[in-house]
Amino acid sequence: MRKFFPVEDLARDERFNKITMKDRLGDPRSVFTIGEPGDAKKAKFRLTPERRDASDGARGLMHGIFVGEIQALEGAGRTCWDFETEVEAPFALKLDMARQCWDEARHVEISVKLSEWMGTEIGQYAENTVLFEAACSTDPVLRLAGVNRALEGLAIDVFTTMKEFGDMAGDPYLEFCEDWMLADEVTHVKMGSDWLRKVTEKDPERRKKALEFQGIVDKLFSYGGTRSESDESPIGLARRFRELAGFTDDEVDVINELSLQALEERKTAVGKLRDADQFAQAAAGE
Amino acid sequence: MPITVTPQTFAYVSFDAATIERIARDLVASLGMAEQTFNISVDETTPLARTTITLNDDSIDIRADSGAFEDTRKPRQQSEVTTATSLGRVLLRARDRQSGGFGEAPRDGDLSLAQIAAWETYSIGRLEKLGVPVNRQRWLYNFRNRHGFSDASDGAFEQLWDSDGLTWGELCAISERAITATRTPA
Repeated sequence: MRKFFPVEDLARDERFNKITMKDRLGDPRSVFTIGEPGDAKKAKFRLTPERRDASDGARGLMHGIFVGEIQALEGAGRTCWDFETEVEAPFALKLDMARQCWDEARHVEISVKLSEWMGTEIGQYAENTVLFEAACSTDPVLRLAGVNRALEGLAIDVFTTMKEFGDMAGDPYLEFCEDWMLADEVTHVKMGSDWLRKVTEKDPERRKKALEFQGIVDKLFSYGGTRSESDESPIGLARRFRELAGFTDDEVDVINELSLQALEERKTAVGKLRDADQFAQAAAGE
Repeated sequence: MPITVTPQTFAYVSFDAATIERIARDLVASLGMAEQTFNISVDETTPLARTTITLNDDSIDIRADSGAFEDTRKPRQQSEVTTATSLGRVLLRARDRQSGGFGEAPRDGDLSLAQIAAWETYSIGRLEKLGVPVNRQRWLYNFRNRHGFSDASDGAFEQLWDSDGLTWGELCAISERAITATRTPA
């Protein structure tokens, strides 16, 4: 079996349509209607039942969770296989990854059931493969930083948002399932935090590099402001659960800063694009 | 039946104005609204899926965000089913308002979330009868989110889904009964 599997070769049937981060960022449309960064009049996009499109928003996010679980399973599985035991990765680290595979497989099944409950078909939304791409690093420590700390950290934020949504809407299944999966995600992030510290204990340069990689992935996963503490972002930042998963307050502050930065950058980009579009339309009309 | 679609060519998304017009034309004919004039404008700068309708003396204006016509499997591409569902919902709402029985319904912007969900259930149920493919579970989930996750809520959904010829008062009564029953402990 070959090592270091490329994202293009992930096995999917005809129901799925894969898109990359490039596709996603290449979409010039935006939910942000305000072009200027730091504008005091901010729209609220946090996913709560009060949003008019709450049901469809929750369905879309649930499908994102579903494909994320598949890719997390694939990523953790690759980490078990891609690195030579004790030479490149400790056996106990691989054992943790194997346990994570077991968790992710259950999460995939739970997500399928929840999607059916919410009226979503498998593959109904495009699958962004950025999650697996973060799991393609050739250094297991970078992979743990990118996947377990950044990706699974995002999962903590997403599950918390969905659990709160289920609780507010009175959906007993959604709230219950998200709570269970959230507990697993906290464990996965904790595994990443613990192994990052342990493996790089005597190698500060490698740790620095891993944390830098995590920062890049964190910003990428903020999806141009999709996740932050601002109400403009559909997904919140779950500080308490991140603390339980081994993040320090300073680390959560940094992630929040990155997320807000991504949000402002996106809004600026949208503003510029709209200005250019209006200019072009005005020019065409003259 | 005059139907105009704006813009005629799209820059942000790969939509086809002629397809939108054809779908609208079919729906308008099926709904018996062929005598009227329709102006459909698409805001292609946002991926949101809102649709609004304005009833004028001489025309009906429909404004849709691009997400309302989009294929969620293939971002920025058009889906005929989604286009038909989105247009069908607002056209039925317009027809309800015009045909009497909905005179006391608040303006669209003043409808409560539960009223919107009830009216959508009633509309989507009728669209299904016209042959538009719909995912019933999606709309049940939407209705439950606004009326509670209970047997009473599901019963109200069934009633609205299967109905035709309701008045605004009857629709509201079904919705309110479901909310009250969900909130009242058995």
